[in-house]
Amino acid sequence: MAVKDKHILTRLYVVTAGLFLFAIAVMVKLVSIQLVDGEKYRDLAQERTTKMFTIAPNRGNLYSDDGSLLATSVSRYTVRFDALTVDAEDFKENVVPLSDALAKLLGKSSSHYQQLLRKARENKNRYALIARNLDYSEYMAAKEFPLFRMGPYKGGLIVEQKTVREHPLGKIAERSVGYERVDENGYYTRVGLEGAFGEFLRGTEGKRLKQKIAKGQWKPIGQDNIVEPKDGYDVISTIDINIQDIAHHALLKQLEHYQADHGTVIVMETKTGEVKAISNLGRTAEGKYYERLNYAIGESHEPGSTFKLMNLVAALEDKVIDTSSVVDTEKGSWRIYNHRVRDSKHGGYGKISIAKAFEVSSNTAFAKMIHNGYKHAPEKYVNRLMSMNIHNELGLPIKGEGKPILRYPGDKGWSGLSLAQMAYGYEVAMTPLQVLTFYNAIANDGEMVKPRLIKEVREWDRTILGFEKEVIEASICSKETAAQVKGLMKNVVEKKHGTGHRLYSPNFSMAGKTGTAQKDYVSKDPDKLKYISTFAGYFPAENPKYSCIVVIHEPDKSVGYYGADVSGPVFKSVAQKIYANSPLIDEVEIPEQVDTKLDGNFQKYYAEAQKKYNKVPNVKGMSGMDAVSILENLGLQVEVRGNGKVKKQSISQGTDINKVEKIVLELS
Amino acid sequence: MSGRSVLRRIDWLTVLFYVLLVAIGWVNIYSSTFTDADASIFSFSSSHGKQLFFIGASAVAILIILALEASFFERFSSIFYIISIVLLLGLFLFGKTIAGATSWYNLGFFNLQPSELAKVCTSLALAKYLSDIQTDIKRGKDQLYAFLIILIPAILIIPQPDPGSALVFFSLMFVLFREGLPLYYLGIGFLAVLVFITTLMFGTVWISIAIALLLVLFFLLKKKRFKMPLLPLISFAIIAILFSLSVNFVFNHVFEQRHRDRFSLWLRLEKDPDKLEQIRKTIGYNTYQSEKAIESGGFFGKGFLEGTRTKGDFVPEQHTDYIFSTVGEEWGFVGTSTVVVLFTLMLLRLVYLAERQKNSFSRMYGYGVISILLIHYFINIGMVIGVLPTIGIPLPFFSYGGSGLLFFTALLFVFLKLDTNRLKEDI
Repeated sequence: MAVKDKHILTRLYVVTAGLFLFAIAVMVKLVSIQLVDGEKYRDLAQERTTKMFTIAPNRGNLYSDDGSLLATSVSRYTVRFDALTVDAEDFKENVVPLSDALAKLLGKSSSHYQQLLRKARENKNRYALIARNLDYSEYMAAKEFPLFRMGPYKGGLIVEQKTVREHPLGKIAERSVGYERVDENGYYTRVGLEGAFGEFLRGTEGKRLKQKIAKGQWKPIGQDNIVEPKDGYDVISTIDINIQDIAHHALLKQLEHYQADHGTVIVMETKTGEVKAISNLGRTAEGKYYERLNYAIGESHEPGSTFKLMNLVAALEDKVIDTSSVVDTEKGSWRIYNHRVRDSKHGGYGKISIAKAFEVSSNTAFAKMIHNGYKHAPEKYVNRLMSMNIHNELGLPIKGEGKPILRYPGDKGWSGLSLAQMAYGYEVAMTPLQVLTFYNAIANDGEMVKPRLIKEVREWDRTILGFEKEVIEASICSKETAAQVKGLMKNVVEKKHGTGHRLYSPNFSMAGKTGTAQKDYVSKDPDKLKYISTFAGYFPAENPKYSCIVVIHEPDKSVGYYGADVSGPVFKSVAQKIYANSPLIDEVEIPEQVDTKLDGNFQKYYAEAQKKYNKVPNVKGMSGMDAVSILENLGLQVEVRGNGKVKKQSISQGTDINKVEKIVLELS
Repeated sequence: MSGRSVLRRIDWLTVLFYVLLVAIGWVNIYSSTFTDADASIFSFSSSHGKQLFFIGASAVAILIILALEASFFERFSSIFYIISIVLLLGLFLFGKTIAGATSWYNLGFFNLQPSELAKVCTSLALAKYLSDIQTDIKRGKDQLYAFLIILIPAILIIPQPDPGSALVFFSLMFVLFREGLPLYYLGIGFLAVLVFITTLMFGTVWISIAIALLLVLFFLLKKKRFKMPLLPLISFAIIAILFSLSVNFVFNHVFEQRHRDRFSLWLRLEKDPDKLEQIRKTIGYNTYQSEKAIESGGFFGKGFLEGTRTKGDFVPEQHTDYIFSTVGEEWGFVGTSTVVVLFTLMLLRLVYLAERQKNSFSRMYGYGVISILLIHYFINIGMVIGVLPTIGIPLPFFSYGGSGLLFFTALLFVFLKLDTNRLKEDI
């Protein structure tokens, strides 16, 4: 047997000694880490059980010009039900009252909720969805419902809170208000104002040190946050929600009437460049219109006849012609190389002045003027346009501005025809906002201001950043030229032969230029020919306060396609509404006049002004919307019956406002 | 043999160590899996509740083992061995995968880990084979059979994958040495490990030079005293150098990255302290956290249920392989040294018991028990306090795990039963 082996006992001692050695080695190691280094590591251990938590800041609000909310952050709650944690008895007792309460709050039938709850229980669903997107008051109500009031463990109530961005205006200006999203990689998707001013709205994250006390449980350490979260600033945009509202609805009405593909309206304050309204509507496959893309800023296209203004200004500045120069419209068709330039009026206009050619928008006259005037020095023409900043982007904070196209002689695509084509707005491309910026510059006597969407960045009542008007070009043309073309634009609306005469209203003055550009004209198929109808201009004609452009793409040709018919009415609606609001504007201007002119006579003036506004005005014949806004501005309660224009007003003109509480308007 | 005589003869000292270890172990499992003070300690949904159930099951197993005839274990050891091999093979078809290793059978109420059973059965089978009057461990053929008995279960366990458990079987070589296996096996094994580690640390070139130098030194100093033939010695040196070369190949091509990282960490192969710290916190995360937990315990520890790192779940797998870190954090040096002393005393007691066996089967089985408990104890505690690389095996009687506790108990109590029978010659 092996025991006889003489070495065995030695081996045994070796083994025993090894065991002791190992035990001693372990003890030594334990002594070294638990006793010697222990103190140092205990501090470290403390450190490892703590963790920095980030605290999300609140995003700032986005306000309109007049202080209405365009976008704000609100909490939304999703309520779910853990059907398994609830006691059988509690469930049985409460399922009906709970369903009744839910039905009352959420609008579905009680039996629907009973079925939902019972099914969840049957399937042992621990995460059954009850309702999404509840607001705070609804959530507070739901928390007190039978069963739910027993809490998460006994009542099975699971609540998830999230912060969402709410747009109180809804679909209006949705695209312009926009959004800002950040994905898990930290990449931002920025759209509209929310995206453009994200830097201000976002705020900075805070930091809080917490200690882990148990599985998933963290206790905050100390009284204060390590870094306080800084909420985002509020941003006051230049958007005026009243004007935005008008622009939106006027555009929508016109798009629906003409079954157009898409359209845009921009309203801009002449002196400051503040964009008061920007509306973009596009048609979905179902024929509904929504804010889909920012056409106003992003879509560069051939402007058509609205570009005649740029040409006229260029030609006048270069003294190629003057407004009284006479051009022969050649019976409405002028041949150049192998191309025909046609006028929209069959047979042409005969021999007419350039002024009239502008008013009637004669293509032949403009083509001849530009071609003949610049054919020996085409670069002079393009240089002139460039000096008027036609070729540059506006550099807006909103992403995705369309690039203008302006070819230089010798560029690819430049031909002998180019001058004649550009004369009536082809072979060039601009975005609606770029065109409007030019028109606004003319309205502003040559000073080109940059369109601006932001007015102020604020933290509570403190202004963090104010924005002043930015001038792109102090003078794109002489005052004389500006005055001359302003006169012509006024004539476009006021003269009987003007292309915009249909918009004429004796009550208020407007000036502008129509444009009816062809789209996809390369195709010879007349069915495929589509139009872009534009009206660009400003109002009031004499003392421009606002400029406005309306662009409608692809109206149904069978209904109409001329700029004055399709886009003009939108322009007129906007102008009319702003006129209807003008008493407010006048009122604001009163103090200025006190300081300068009226001085001591202020009291008298004020009494008179008050008296004037103390009487109920005559609103018969006005559109319902305008009448309501005027009367409501006077502080009256208005009730409206019917649709259309005001036929009857229950309180007659001249009655003292203070004696009236409510006025009923009958429309027809 | 009557029940009374078993109770009189059983080695109560070992039973005391066993009871203490199991009790301390359960308290620490309770602490490391504690979440809610209200929950019943008997709740089967908590780990400590389950462990309590298995402690009860182990008690039943002890009673059954003690009630059986001692000869039963020797007589049926071959059959037990075959059953355990079949169960290991069956895992390839019916095994349940937990944490990446297909090492369990799902029996509904608990998961059976046959590798734990195989430890008991292989010890029995090896003891039976070696104690056979025909077997002579000095003979090459018998050595081969003995190796095979150890190797077969180990080879079946490696692909689960569970290299840690497979390694445990090699500890049974210790039984062979006790029974007279020539020491040069141990010498070769020791040299191989030495060359392996030093090659990783210093590179093949330096190791080759060192071997050559040793060879020359050997000749210069000792050629007169020993008449060593030149050729085998040189070929031995060449084999050692080739082995050193192959170490690099194995390390870079056979090992997976996680294994390489463990060695890098253990042997401090990474010289850049920042990178080393990085490895410590990622690859060596478990060990790092467990070391920190033990360190934070200090002399007296933080107290029962007061360990912040234990309650904060900082140490992954703390209730299983890293249970010793809970002891370290909550009971401090007092706790850890108590456990180490208990284990050491228990093993020494077992050596004493094994040596007093008249029956060679009982003695050999006793050494099997000692080897298996020793290697678990050695590797587990070494790993948890960071002196050995990470090899995932549990601490016997201590770690959470039903199969583990049950079969470690069986392993120990079969030996205690054999011990009660030591005076009877005719088993």
